[in-house]
Amino acid sequence: MVDEGAKLVNIQPVMPKCWRADTKPHRFCPGCGHGLVLKALGEAVDDLDIAGRVVFGADIGCSLLAWDLFNLDSVQTHHGRTVPVITGLKRANPDLIGICYMGDGGGYAIGAQHLVGSAARGEKITVILVNNTQYGMTGGQMAPTTMPGQKTETSPFGRDPATTGAPMQGPEMVASITGEGAYVARGTVFNVRQLKGFIKKALANQMAGRGYSFVEALSLCPTNWRTDAAATWNMVNEVMPRYFKVGELKVPGETGGR
Amino acid sequence: MAGKPIEGEKRVFMTGNEVVAYGALAAEADIMYGYPITPQNEIMHYWTRMVPKYGKRFLQTEDELSAGFTTIGGVMAGKKAFTATAGPGNVLMQEPMSMAEAMRLPTVSIVQQRGGPSTATVIYSQQEVILTTMGGNGEGLRVVYSTATHQELFDYTIKAFNTAWKYRFPTFVLGDGYQAKMRESLTLYDPAGRGIELVPPQPLLGAPGVPGVDRPPAQYRNTYSMEEELAEVLAKNIADYEAVSGEISEWEESGTEGADLVIVAHGVVSRAAKLAARELRGEGIRIGYFRPVTLRPLPAARIRELAARAGSFLVVESSYGQFTRLLKEAAYGAAARMIPLFKPGVGVTAEEIVARARELLSWSMRGQSS
Amino acid sequence: MEAYVGEYAAGKSEVAVNRALDLAGEGRLVTLVDLDIVEPCYTLRPIKHLLEERGVCVLAWETRQTVGLGEAGTVLRADARWALRREGDVVLDIGYGVEGSKTLDLLEGARTEENLRVLAVLNVSRPMTATVEDLVEHVRGMMPVHGLVNNTHLGDETTPEVVQAGAGVVEGAARLLGLPVVATTAVAEVAARLGPRDACGHPVRALTRFMPRAFW
Repeated sequence: MVDEGAKLVNIQPVMPKCWRADTKPHRFCPGCGHGLVLKALGEAVDDLDIAGRVVFGADIGCSLLAWDLFNLDSVQTHHGRTVPVITGLKRANPDLIGICYMGDGGGYAIGAQHLVGSAARGEKITVILVNNTQYGMTGGQMAPTTMPGQKTETSPFGRDPATTGAPMQGPEMVASITGEGAYVARGTVFNVRQLKGFIKKALANQMAGRGYSFVEALSLCPTNWRTDAAATWNMVNEVMPRYFKVGELKVPGETGGR
Repeated sequence: MAGKPIEGEKRVFMTGNEVVAYGALAAEADIMYGYPITPQNEIMHYWTRMVPKYGKRFLQTEDELSAGFTTIGGVMAGKKAFTATAGPGNVLMQEPMSMAEAMRLPTVSIVQQRGGPSTATVIYSQQEVILTTMGGNGEGLRVVYSTATHQELFDYTIKAFNTAWKYRFPTFVLGDGYQAKMRESLTLYDPAGRGIELVPPQPLLGAPGVPGVDRPPAQYRNTYSMEEELAEVLAKNIADYEAVSGEISEWEESGTEGADLVIVAHGVVSRAAKLAARELRGEGIRIGYFRPVTLRPLPAARIRELAARAGSFLVVESSYGQFTRLLKEAAYGAAARMIPLFKPGVGVTAEEIVARARELLSWSMRGQSS
Repeated sequence: MEAYVGEYAAGKSEVAVNRALDLAGEGRLVTLVDLDIVEPCYTLRPIKHLLEERGVCVLAWETRQTVGLGEAGTVLRADARWALRREGDVVLDIGYGVEGSKTLDLLEGARTEENLRVLAVLNVSRPMTATVEDLVEHVRGMMPVHGLVNNTHLGDETTPEVVQAGAGVVEGAARLLGLPVVATTAVAEVAARLGPRDACGHPVRALTRFMPRAFW
């Protein structure tokens, strides 16, 4: 007969097998979306059973906090340089599964050059880009993905598209410059099951050697959004999808859009 | 596919850039990552032609930031990876090389200096000395070989891979546009034939085994939370660097015994300096010649010794004092005056050095200061 | 009308310059054309005046006329495109490139001009063109080629033996390619010791070195 009290005390949160237990709890803010994206990624790696082959690259920004999150070989790089480091690694040892994990700055601003170059060349890597519409770690500055009217530390009166452009449509850009074998999708932490499916397909695409794979994940930053739980979910599920369409943009073997 | 690229030894006639490519081949380099910039493009032109012949790899990246970072990825995967650049590309290269310094990564980079700053000329200079030795946002824990001949470009490209993988500091071969394009003879050889053992590379990431199951995960970062953490890491790296500086540093000298004036130069300018010293000694003048081969680590102890005994160093460089600055730091406190012969971005002939040396010697004989 | 093609640093410019001077020395009207469009560094530009004083008409930029030579200045001169329409002899120095003699396609009439002979300059002391097999593959990649020039040398270390050894290898390649070896070239001191013909019977042409002065 099991002591009910002891059973409750001993419950541990369910973690992906490839997560490192000794570096938990992780360092992300309460309510951060990274934990959800990284859990989806961890489960995908577990399902595909590739922990022995993965190299996980983290960028600068909040993604850096994941540098020791996994039981996976990992490297934290300079800002925007995760893609070239993982590209170089993959080119040198094609048996590895290279994952580039970054935020909107690392992918669409300082790292845009490398995103475009690697996508156009069809590098066999998987890029997972977390879009929370601002630069979190540095205190909430405007990002390429900041939405019109959104207030950030460097757009204190709200982003004006007339002078700073519209939110960057990253997966759309990647889909347009990649070739036949690319997998491109945008998921959301509001639907983790779907997001995990996209990530799995992205990784499988790399494993099959078909081409580039890119998944943007709409995510949360209540800390810099200054939102409570309800407003946070509203942001990611009502506001952001007005500018960022969720779904698969490019699936090898399937023609047409979503 | 061909066997060993170089069997035995052969006397050949080549340009410096080609020599670098053959040196990398002889060192059994696996992969080159690069971006075009004059005057080092032929390194890539030749390497890409060797790729199918010798089963090598190459990636032309979208810029030099990427060339440096992909090289980092390559060495972390356990392959002998290298890159090459010049001028503004070298400026960009400092970002990845800072990371390589921080993480003790065995990158090999060949730099063919051109006129600076900015795009200036594509031709030549010695103006990338500070950039290549100390250009990152760190303490310059790097190895930099400054070559003067095509034979050295071959020898030191091979050595650069060994140095990088043995000591784990980013390693550079610092040439220049003249060396890159000039044609001269040299001997290509199989390193094994000369008893040179090649240090094997090892993977830092993606080694066999499942992380967390068969072995701990290999996790690398270059960001720390506290000053103390950083201090600890730096202290270790600095200690490692200082411990091996003596065995890594190299120099060349002649006629320094009892010489009051020593001509000091590095790289291709040392050829003219050597000729100048030889000419003056032929006239019975006691003049010395000193040339550091490693700019990092500089042979500081020998420089201090010479600076303590000689009256003056005539420092000749195709820059406005970048090399002199390194010497002054090493020689600080010693008696020798550092007399400049600076020609930023322009070549220096033996005749010019001889003329300046004569001036100095005649002044000192007359008891005048320069 | 001769076009000198070949591997990077094989000696095309030196051979072309000397050929132009030899022809001018015979009292002929000669134009020398610089067609280096990949990495110009070591070409006719710096020695243009020197050649003009000796009666050679030179179609080449002067370094000063370019903007950031090598960075922005690999521009084809308009008059170079029409070089084959000029009176008298035309000697073309075709710079290197992955497609070798395709540079000729930039010249009006190059593919239809019957009198144009394309000559491949070869230096067996260079690792990529060291064996008969290398040379055959190399020349085949540059076709059409009408003749070979043995320019084997080791710079200042060149001896008659080096040149003769090269002649043998070039001859071997020539037989497989079905092409004549037009000449063996060597600096004057070495040429004097070789005599009028090399060991394979090729005519020896003496060279005066100009290219070291032509650096950039």
